[in-house]
Amino acid sequence: MSECCSKKDVTIKAGDPCSPPEGPCQSAAAPTEKAGECPLTWFKNMIPNCLEYARAAKADGKRIVGILCEYTPRELIMAADGVPVCLCGGSAKTIPVAEEHLPANLCPLIKSTYGYHAQRSNPFLEMADLVVAETTCDGKKKMYELMAESRPMYVLELPQRENDRDALDHWTSELHRFRAELEGRFGLQVTNDKIREAIHVMNRERALRRALAELMKANSPPLTGRQLLGLKSSISGIPADFKQYENALKIFGNGVRTADLSSRVRVLMTGVPVVHGAERVVDIIEDHGGVIVCMENCTGLKPILDDVDAEANDPIRALAEKYYRLHCSVMTRNDRRMECLRRLAAEYRAQCVIELVWQACLTYDVESYRVKKLAEKELGIPYLRIETDYSPSDSARIAVRVEALFETVRGGGRGGSGCGRV
Amino acid sequence: MSLVAGLDVGSTTTKLVLMESSQILSAEVSPTGPSCRKTAENLLSAALKSSGRDRSEIRRTVSTGYGRRLIDFSDRTVSEITANARGATWLHNGAVPIGTIIDVGGQDSKVISLDESGSVVNFGMNDKCAAGTGRFLEVTARVLEIDLDQLGELSLRANKALEISSVCTVFAESEIVSLISQGESVENIAAALHRSIARRVSDLVASVGLREAVFYDGGPALNRGLVVALEKELGVSLIVPDSPQVVTAVGAALIASELP
Repeated sequence: MSECCSKKDVTIKAGDPCSPPEGPCQSAAAPTEKAGECPLTWFKNMIPNCLEYARAAKADGKRIVGILCEYTPRELIMAADGVPVCLCGGSAKTIPVAEEHLPANLCPLIKSTYGYHAQRSNPFLEMADLVVAETTCDGKKKMYELMAESRPMYVLELPQRENDRDALDHWTSELHRFRAELEGRFGLQVTNDKIREAIHVMNRERALRRALAELMKANSPPLTGRQLLGLKSSISGIPADFKQYENALKIFGNGVRTADLSSRVRVLMTGVPVVHGAERVVDIIEDHGGVIVCMENCTGLKPILDDVDAEANDPIRALAEKYYRLHCSVMTRNDRRMECLRRLAAEYRAQCVIELVWQACLTYDVESYRVKKLAEKELGIPYLRIETDYSPSDSARIAVRVEALFETVRGGGRGGSGCGRV
Repeated sequence: MSLVAGLDVGSTTTKLVLMESSQILSAEVSPTGPSCRKTAENLLSAALKSSGRDRSEIRRTVSTGYGRRLIDFSDRTVSEITANARGATWLHNGAVPIGTIIDVGGQDSKVISLDESGSVVNFGMNDKCAAGTGRFLEVTARVLEIDLDQLGELSLRANKALEISSVCTVFAESEIVSLISQGESVENIAAALHRSIARRVSDLVASVGLREAVFYDGGPALNRGLVVALEKELGVSLIVPDSPQVVTAVGAALIASELP
């Protein structure tokens, strides 16, 4: 490809978690000036906010606990006076270092996370008193062994059979052991009452984020998918964040729109998580005429769809039930994901499904065949699978596919026939 | 319809088509080179000259291809998938409407599935890899020290089925070197290369689904050897237009003609 034509025709944002990408906020900021800060601006400073919060918490005697997966119940960490912080890496920059130890043909999320570890460049990881890992995928599982050589680490063993009593029992006992681990390591009691308290906090956070996501059901969504993606935090349960979620709900629930998105193609995005710093494909989709009205993945709706029963007699069992139900592609068979996609496609009136697969993510990659069939045969909407990593080299090629998909949805440039499929 | 231009800025070649009243007035092809803007300007001048028209007469221009967004004088951009479908259905005059388009390009291959009305229903593209594209032929022709346009004809004179197993262009190159050192003929090696691409392309066809009639375009469709290898691999006959390189540019011009 010639130099001239390889000039990227999409905006690629910096992939460094410590310098969050820009997001337009100005237009939405105006009506809330008196509240001091627009929620979009607030969360644009998410990493500095979290750092400040974590440092203050640490100085206050709290433990910083790194987590790497949505299966890890933040409630237990919070009940142990811990601050759960997500450590998933979204930067291409840390990958070369990781490849000194890890195979090149491994998912970029794993490599990036490990790169931060090897470079000691993730301030949250450096602050962490404990890292909680899980056995969600083979790549992560084996990477954790290397990380554990120099970090305090605890691994939760996640059973992988769906709808299975024994599996749920095992997961419950894993959470009991985790509680004991936290108690022993930090020298405190993780009482049922404290767990219930944490459940209330997390339920509140999930409800707020869910309500925000549901605003995207509107004909003219108030935010882009990229902006909604930014409305969350690496650390759960920060009171200032909750205020801003409420603030955002007030603003965007009352007719304020950051742009007129009513003529965009409504996209249901699924697949792997879009972690902080790795939002390139989201940007490509929304720079080419789409709006992601629903993100069914770990950085979107999946972990916040269900709450935990805060009144349950056995809060550990209640936690186990919620988290075991998460429909990650490691589960077999993962029918719950298909059910969820069916429901979300209808609720959010998706016109197409775009699935993101990080390179070498075996389980999502294989399962994409089922999602494709579901979209095309059952839902009757076009499906596009994008397999990529954190490097921007294929952005132009992804853009062509996305554009062609949207032209197909709109009737293939044949002029005004509305929806070409269905 | 007044004068319109369709421009397809591909990775290897740039194509420009001038149309008026459903007539192709001029179709120009040139290597894209280091500056696609300059190439596009040159093609436009050449096309206007050969058709005796003036630039000011062009009502609309639509660009497509990898460099589509870099063309200053274009009124709209469209993806090459939509443009290709448009051009192919317009050029095709067979009794059976096109069900599948296979477009082997300079750096990627595409398979496009159409419904009866000619709308795109599905498509597939190869990933981050030159295997199954024109680039594969370019690289291997160089190793064999023969002209790219002779490669296809040579392959048709093969008398032995050799195997090139690697799908990777770089590794295939070293396989060729070892076949040469084993004294295998250029004809037989060329045939193996074409089979290798055909297999790769037919994998893509299988993932999208094959429906006749099958239209085959893109620059490498000029290569007879590849047409034969693909037909054999797919088990269907292919409809190859007279100028397979400009189909997508024709589609862009047709879309331009519909712009207000």
